Amino acid sequence: MSASIELSKLTVDFDGRFQLRDLDWQILPGQNWMITGTNGSGKSALAAVLAGVGDHLSGELSGLPERVALVSYEAQGELIEAERKKDDADILDVISEGTPVREIIDAVCLDQPLAEQLIEQFGLGSLLDRAFRKLSTGETRKVMLIRALTSKPDLLVLDEPFDGLDVKTHEMLHEHLKSLVGQTPMVMVLNRFDECPDFVTHIAYLDNGELRHQVSRNDQQAYDELYQLLHLKTSDLEVPAADPISELPPLDPNQPLVRIKNAKIQYGDTVIFSDLSWTIERNQHWQLTGPNGSGKTGLLSLITGDHPQCYVNDIYVFGFQRGQGESIWQIKQYIGYVSTALQWEYRVGTSLRHVIISGFFDSIGLYVKYTDRQRDIANEWLEVLGMSHRADEPFNKLSYGDQRLLLIARAMVKHPPLLILDEPCNGLDDMNRQRVLALIEKICADSETSVLYVNHHPEDKIKGIDQYLALS
Amino acid sequence: MANYFNTLPLREQLEQLGKCRFMHLNEFTDGVNALKGKKMVVIGCGAQGLNQGLNLRDSGLDVSYTLRAEAIEQKRQSWKNATENGFTVGTYEELIPTADVVLNLTPDKQHTAVVNAIMPMMKQGACLSYSHGFNIVEEGMQIRDDLTVIMVAPKCPGSEVRAEYVRGFGVPTLIAVHEDNDPNGEGLELAKAYAVGTGGHKAGVLMSSFIAEVKSDLMGEQTILCGMLQTGSLLCYDKMIEEGVDAGYASKLIQYGWETVTEALKYGGVTNMMDRLSNPAKIKAYDLSEEMKDIMRPLYQKHQDDIMTGHFSATMMADWANDDAQLLGWRADTAETAYEKMPAGDVEISEQEYFDNGILMVAMVKAGVELAFETMTSAGIIADSAYYESLHETPLIANTIARKKLYEMNATISDTAEYGCYLYNHACVPLLADFMKGIKTDVIGRGLNLNDMSVDNARLIEVNHAIRTHPVEDIGSELRGYMADMKRIV
Repeated sequence: MSASIELSKLTVDFDGRFQLRDLDWQILPGQNWMITGTNGSGKSALAAVLAGVGDHLSGELSGLPERVALVSYEAQGELIEAERKKDDADILDVISEGTPVREIIDAVCLDQPLAEQLIEQFGLGSLLDRAFRKLSTGETRKVMLIRALTSKPDLLVLDEPFDGLDVKTHEMLHEHLKSLVGQTPMVMVLNRFDECPDFVTHIAYLDNGELRHQVSRNDQQAYDELYQLLHLKTSDLEVPAADPISELPPLDPNQPLVRIKNAKIQYGDTVIFSDLSWTIERNQHWQLTGPNGSGKTGLLSLITGDHPQCYVNDIYVFGFQRGQGESIWQIKQYIGYVSTALQWEYRVGTSLRHVIISGFFDSIGLYVKYTDRQRDIANEWLEVLGMSHRADEPFNKLSYGDQRLLLIARAMVKHPPLLILDEPCNGLDDMNRQRVLALIEKICADSETSVLYVNHHPEDKIKGIDQYLALS
Repeated sequence: MANYFNTLPLREQLEQLGKCRFMHLNEFTDGVNALKGKKMVVIGCGAQGLNQGLNLRDSGLDVSYTLRAEAIEQKRQSWKNATENGFTVGTYEELIPTADVVLNLTPDKQHTAVVNAIMPMMKQGACLSYSHGFNIVEEGMQIRDDLTVIMVAPKCPGSEVRAEYVRGFGVPTLIAVHEDNDPNGEGLELAKAYAVGTGGHKAGVLMSSFIAEVKSDLMGEQTILCGMLQTGSLLCYDKMIEEGVDAGYASKLIQYGWETVTEALKYGGVTNMMDRLSNPAKIKAYDLSEEMKDIMRPLYQKHQDDIMTGHFSATMMADWANDDAQLLGWRADTAETAYEKMPAGDVEISEQEYFDNGILMVAMVKAGVELAFETMTSAGIIADSAYYESLHETPLIANTIARKKLYEMNATISDTAEYGCYLYNHACVPLLADFMKGIKTDVIGRGLNLNDMSVDNARLIEVNHAIRTHPVEDIGSELRGYMADMKRIV
């Protein structure tokens, strides 16, 4: 391939069933791409676009080479379907055996010696005379691969090429693809990062029909973040259980979590807000909005006990009327809390595992002995985050987005009745925002925690929130 | 009023000076119970007053503030501090008679007047608490027999006391009971509960005596903590300028150098600080520090002697009586020094470079820490106390210099410490004058820059042995071990 392939603001429709929107993508000579994303995000569709599939509604596609070989389940299905039709079309009253494998391969083969070699390596020698449509799925896939590899394509598009291959065949194919580096550019759809071959230079991430991220393999941090985003989006891991030993003292089920009456915050002569009343019932999810300076964080800290004026307001939280001799640690045990300020505070060189464990004690840093069970729970959380392999690394060496994810896990580790997320997406780029929101949604769906969510950005929505409080 | 310490027989003096015990966490299982439901009234709302009060209230205790009537009427800063934080504020007359515990957190020089004003109003059997024992020990304040007198002294600036509490930790704290005023035998329980209320128990509590606290605290702050850093800053800066080192570089090397080299001290004592130097530099620093120790030893002994006899406190109190004329004059002089006036240059200095180009500063820290420790212990102060008042606090003070040079240090420390610091500086600068004549930029400003880093094995072994076997290293590794158990992550 001598020229680059360029997609510019390209919108492609697939029979009215699915659309890829506003694709901006450039594949330069010498690059090999991996396309990834969640199920239904449009990975296979994007691969198919390179093979000429779909109706272009707007935008442009240029530089596509003449001979593009596509291996995909869809293409495989189409070929089998065509075979079946051929069979149906037969007017003779004999049972058609269908096209033998040999013919299916020869129909496109431009490199006979290679074909023989691959047939041998794939173990298809004994099947050459069998009808293509009688093969198993794995066998037809191998035939499709041989067709693609022997057709001397200018661009090789492989949709889940390793899927369903045994280990030996997987390795063999991988070796062969590696030998094509520099001759044939490759684009492959892969669902799993650990299948990503070393020769892949770039990764494209799709979400809901849009090409959201394009990452160079050389950018290790972006690569790691993308890895975790995919992990959070695709894994079925559950929110780890709470620790039965450190279970919280039970709350009165008939009382709200929080009840604030006619609250006021004032500095000198400046009143931030007054006459503010608010009740948070159990199992309610709230979103708190308001412009800068409207007192959102102040209001939250009246609840958490971090604001000194909580003692001069009428505040009932988790069974305590404030100012009656309770300690803030009795309040904080019921709250998980994440904010940018907390992240700034958390400058200690603690390991990732210890940061999560510190959530059991509501401390910044870890100052007490913890139990084996607490350690195990922390390890489960690290697994949910896809950070198990980094458990002993220092927190302050993590990227900003990773730190945020870890602090959310820290806040949730004790399964608090109330999780307060003060602008949890602040300072995060698009990829990290999606990672954080993916984790929060997992938590919302999978626990009994009420979420109190403060956010400016309408696009950072969290499913399940139905209560709103706006400060002005 | 007579100096209380001087009224005691030698036997009693030595016993009191030798009091210091690191308390176990399991001695605090009663939490704040001894203070639960009691009315705590804080006098003074400066950095210690406000931050200790915030912690105590967040621990579930009943805290309010009493200020002089003028401070309330004129809505002074102390009044604003208390009211904006949602505390009840009242005059002495309004609040003192209701108090079960009165926390005197005013500056030393106000103690006599404050205590004389409030004592007649205090409830029968109430408790009076201090965070520094100067008033009792040096001024000989006599407290009503029915009152319990305790001390709870967080060994950090007030802002740190609060910041560490909010993190779920605390700062090392010294507690003591004035044995002449413990009529119901409840002093220790109250002091322990108070230390829990400020979070101090999580970071380590030392059980000491009023006398040991005062005599070691004064010694530490005057010599190594503030005095040595001030003298060292001025001498090192002037030397670098004299030798043609860029002024901005020199200013920065000193401003952040103390903090950087003493950070190594905090983690692993003098041994670790010295280990950060190359072998030739270490031997050089060792030789310099030995030379300085010989020169400065009489000065350290004089400071300790003046503290023990009460000469120091009498001198300072005379200045109090004279409207702080000396203190204010010396403060103004410090602001006019060449070092203080030269801002830190916009140059990059790596962490290691502070060691490599600051060999003399490392030597000064070593000499000061060891001399202060040796002098205190030889005067009957127990090693634990001497360690906290010398090595342990040096990085804390160095941090204040990094923030805003000597001005910040002197603004953060107490007036008592500041006064003592100037006394030391005035004596130490001329004392080191001859020594400084032999100093070149290889040990301050530019580094050794050797092509050949080889050293004599026997000499290196000898130097390492001397550094590592100093008594301050022995007690230091033991106490840092306790601290590490409590605070696994520094």
